[in-house]
Amino acid sequence: MKKLKKNYPLHVMLLPGVVFTLIYAYGPMAGLVMAFQEFEPLSGFFKSDFIGLDNFKYVFQLPDFNQVLWNTVLIAVCKMVLFLLVPLILALLLNEVTKSWFSRFVQSAIFLPFFLSWTVLGGIVIELFSLNGPVNALVSSFGLEPIMFMLDNSWFRTIIIGSDVWKGMGYNMIIMLAAITGINATLYEAAEVDGAGKWKQMIHITLPGIAPIVIVLSVLGLGGVLNAGFEQILIMYNPTVYEGSDIIDTFVYRLGIFSQQFGPAAAVGLFKSVISLALVSATYYAAYKYNNYRIF
Amino acid sequence: MKWRRSWNLILSFSLVLSLMAACSSKEGNKEGSSPSPSASVSPSASSEDGGESAEAEKPDPLGKYPETVTVTEVIGYNPPEDPRTPSGMTPDQNAYLKDLKEMTNIEVKFKWMVPNSQYEQKFSLALASGDLPDIMELDQKNFEKLKNQNMLGDLTEAYEQYASPDLRKYMESDGGFAMKTFSVDGKQLAIPAFEDPFLSTQILWIRKDWLDTLGLQPPTTMAELDKVAEAFVTQDPDRNGQNDTYGVSLQKELFFWGFDLRGFFNGFGAYPSVGDKQSAWIKGGDGKLVPGLIQPEMKDGLAMLQSWYQRGIINKEFALKDENKVVEDIVAGKVGISYGEWWYPNWPLNSHVDKDPKAEWIALQIPGLDGPGKSLVPKLRAGKVFAVSKNMKHPEAAIKMLNFYIEMGYKKYKDDEKAAKGYVYNWFNPRIYNPADIDNIYTEVNKALDAGQTEITLEDENFSNVDSVFRATKEYLAKDTSRQSLGISWGQYYSRAAKDGGWGTTKKVKESNAFVNNEFYGLPTETIVSKGGQLDKLMQESFTKIIMGASLDEFDKFVSSWKSLGGDKIIEEVNAWYDTQAVK
Amino acid sequence: MRSRVSLSRKLFNVSNALFLTGVTLLGIVPFLHLLSISLSSNTAAMAGEVKLWPVGFSWDAYIYLGEKVEFFRSLRVSLERVVLGTIVNMLLVFLTAYPLAKSNEQFGSRTVYVWFFAVTMFFGGGLIPTYIVVVKTGLIDSIWALILPGALSVWNVILMLNFFRSIPKELEEAATIDGAGHWTILWKVFLPVSLPSIATIGLFTIVGHWNAWFDGILYLNSPDKYPLQTYLSTLIMSMNSMMTSVSVEQLKVLENLSEKTLRTAQIFMGALPIMLVYPFLQKYFVRGMTVGSVKE
Repeated sequence: MKKLKKNYPLHVMLLPGVVFTLIYAYGPMAGLVMAFQEFEPLSGFFKSDFIGLDNFKYVFQLPDFNQVLWNTVLIAVCKMVLFLLVPLILALLLNEVTKSWFSRFVQSAIFLPFFLSWTVLGGIVIELFSLNGPVNALVSSFGLEPIMFMLDNSWFRTIIIGSDVWKGMGYNMIIMLAAITGINATLYEAAEVDGAGKWKQMIHITLPGIAPIVIVLSVLGLGGVLNAGFEQILIMYNPTVYEGSDIIDTFVYRLGIFSQQFGPAAAVGLFKSVISLALVSATYYAAYKYNNYRIF
Repeated sequence: MKWRRSWNLILSFSLVLSLMAACSSKEGNKEGSSPSPSASVSPSASSEDGGESAEAEKPDPLGKYPETVTVTEVIGYNPPEDPRTPSGMTPDQNAYLKDLKEMTNIEVKFKWMVPNSQYEQKFSLALASGDLPDIMELDQKNFEKLKNQNMLGDLTEAYEQYASPDLRKYMESDGGFAMKTFSVDGKQLAIPAFEDPFLSTQILWIRKDWLDTLGLQPPTTMAELDKVAEAFVTQDPDRNGQNDTYGVSLQKELFFWGFDLRGFFNGFGAYPSVGDKQSAWIKGGDGKLVPGLIQPEMKDGLAMLQSWYQRGIINKEFALKDENKVVEDIVAGKVGISYGEWWYPNWPLNSHVDKDPKAEWIALQIPGLDGPGKSLVPKLRAGKVFAVSKNMKHPEAAIKMLNFYIEMGYKKYKDDEKAAKGYVYNWFNPRIYNPADIDNIYTEVNKALDAGQTEITLEDENFSNVDSVFRATKEYLAKDTSRQSLGISWGQYYSRAAKDGGWGTTKKVKESNAFVNNEFYGLPTETIVSKGGQLDKLMQESFTKIIMGASLDEFDKFVSSWKSLGGDKIIEEVNAWYDTQAVK
Repeated sequence: MRSRVSLSRKLFNVSNALFLTGVTLLGIVPFLHLLSISLSSNTAAMAGEVKLWPVGFSWDAYIYLGEKVEFFRSLRVSLERVVLGTIVNMLLVFLTAYPLAKSNEQFGSRTVYVWFFAVTMFFGGGLIPTYIVVVKTGLIDSIWALILPGALSVWNVILMLNFFRSIPKELEEAATIDGAGHWTILWKVFLPVSLPSIATIGLFTIVGHWNAWFDGILYLNSPDKYPLQTYLSTLIMSMNSMMTSVSVEQLKVLENLSEKTLRTAQIFMGALPIMLVYPFLQKYFVRGMTVGSVKE
């Protein structure tokens, strides 16, 4: 009873968030019924016919669906890992820079591509890797044959992953930098007194200090395992690399499902949601069980 | 489900037939009893046997309502074309709306305005939230949906009573074919904005100055084209000492609205597509429709493309290029040949001419196996139709607005400062153009040029369109760049007015019967909707691979997969449509 | 001994600086490219001849842009949106993260709330249902339609609550002993020590509001209410990619699309204001903020 009274303000604090979430997040979730309907906008949710799991069957039985699912997971997992590793390394390196103007300048520059959409950047990337582009100029300067990067399945996948990491790495880097900033400075002072070098300080203080946030980012990142970057791939790919780079979203988009077939589109969405939720919950409890850390 | 739908179609079709029969016999009787058609009906209209129940006291097509009638609309708008349009205007501020109010007392309210590219999206949201406007611009798909849900108002009466002679003239210019396509059970459910189908004719654009430099003749057969294209690659046609040119432009969507392969395959007597993701349909030997995409002629075309790719005649990285990239190559003067339609000089060739005044592009009929080939021409070219909601109180207001828009083309409304005063023609809906607009411009401008006129004296509603091309032509011929760049003037002249230009060459195709019709103009069938995307993916993948060097046998594999993945079903459905619904 | 360490350190510093300079260049190059296009002659831009330096230098695009009412009108809407949106979002994130950062022992209902929020990260109703909710709540066609539906970002709440957890427990305990309630602790203790994390999350919120364009298309009914990125998107995509033939009218749109320099100038100017935000916020990323307050 006493606890309830003491915690009363906590409930009040949560109230606005709960209200908005109820209205604007849970409200529309009624629309998930579309996944089980032959939905037709004019008839609405109430008058559209229910067709059970037909939408799911339709999507899963599309030819090439397995290949596409595999591409999606492969590309998404590579992106996920690199989205943690690259920003982590950058944050650690930046942390070693002593001149603060230089550090700030580099941070800003790394964050820059984040502001441009793939519609703008896609063309630039394609140009970079084209036959007459600068990358191939470099290749030929080593006396090698020019490579058609964008028309080769494995090169293309590498470029897709690399360029997305390049575009988005600033985001996680800033979170990690903020976490490093939050580490208690007295720890470093004590280590210095003990004669620990920079390397040791990094291993024993910095890394453990930001471990929680890295865990949070990786667990939440898992939620995106079926999101491999729709807009980017749609803009950059071409028929010769469908085989290795067609992901669920681009696949169903090209089949006209998003624009015409609302039911199957909702089914794909629901499928992705369920997988993400399952993965995140599993890792959430794993993190709690082995590390006693609740990420949220 | 599927069966029910096709039953409905068949049922409604037979109803249409019987009603049409009933109507025409009634008309016959009437004509006998009322001998003098009203003065407001154009001569061409009264000579049609489908005629109308002409009453002497027909209301004024632009009559003013005693009380303001408010009409709701939605609009997917493009940016205003004229740079002199006041900055920051929105479609609801269009000065035409003020004139409309003044003239007819109709007030337009926009429920929403959205950039054209997002119209589809926003419209389906409006459908879902049940918030439909009075007057709607629909594509074929949405027309069908609303029709089936019984949401559309009947325009028969309003059209009969209020359509102006000019509007009638337009609608009857194709013998009423387009109008018939959008009427159901004798009810006119939409007014189609259709264009001359020959606007879709494929022709060949080629660099005349390169031909001259290399001492070559314009190609008329595929063999000659092959030689010319090779010379464009190997003999440095731009004389810059570098090996940086290629023959034929091509972008990654093999069948598209430009810079694609439709015309190329036509040269082999193959008709794979009208530019969309589905096959074109031509009449086979047994009177049935066959999909051009899987005919054996395609294989010869693919073989030549493969060799072209090998020899660098098409760009090694064509599979990466979207239309913007292809246009870059054209404007940069790196490519000498492109298949396309009459409008290329308008865009992007005009930019190239501005960049390099020595560049000279000409239009040719597509080369065929021996002599010019036959281009594919659709039966119907109606991208959009105008319909009204069944709840609209004054459906005739929609017709009056159509009349109003056409009326605005007359010379008496001419005003050079229109754009600056906030008149934006493409923000006015519903608007319908003269389906024969381009042909009319061609005829009138040439007439005026031959007579040595200094200005257009035309008195009808086509004045302003003819006038603008005439002025551009004059400016181009006089090398006058005070109003716009030479490239832009050339573009307007060479696409529309020049005898050997875009439309001139298209006319030649039409007059020499060098074309084949795409016979299917119905809605995508059930299987096209559900399987069309997969089939298109299959086609893009197989064809691109073949062009880039895969075995030609892949084509046979493609044909059998295409058929088994739904193609056979589509052939059945399209022929069922053809047997029952095509207006023959 | 000492000098050897500093030598290797020096080597590291130099190679680190070189490496980071390389990364910096990668971030800046696309902007340089855009800037060059916007300062070139239109024909050169259309021919794709512009790389990193203007060809046929011309200010025309910027002069024309200076007269574009649309650009400045939507810029104002964007600023309004960023200010309102950031205030609302940050307030909600702050209020929501505080109770959720408590341990399960302190706040028993925590787990329920956490999952209530977390689920919305994975499940959404999709476009149509969300649109209907926005219409029904009367937000359609007002700036609040861009702010309230996304008022609570669960992702940011999770980041924030993890930052809160790294605040030393002693701070809160000391305040509780002094008789402070939850509200006082939130405002007087947590707020001042969380500036780096507020700056981080604030940055993401600002960038998110600035870059969002699609909700403008969906929820606003008149182009004069569009924020900047929605307006810019109309310039990039005014050609419907689904069309199958070019009508006489669409042809004129194509002609207008040739104004590549003007479009690029607007993209560049649209990204400029937001690029300046990060360097400004950087001053809050100061090491030892937390520690300093603990000592007091």
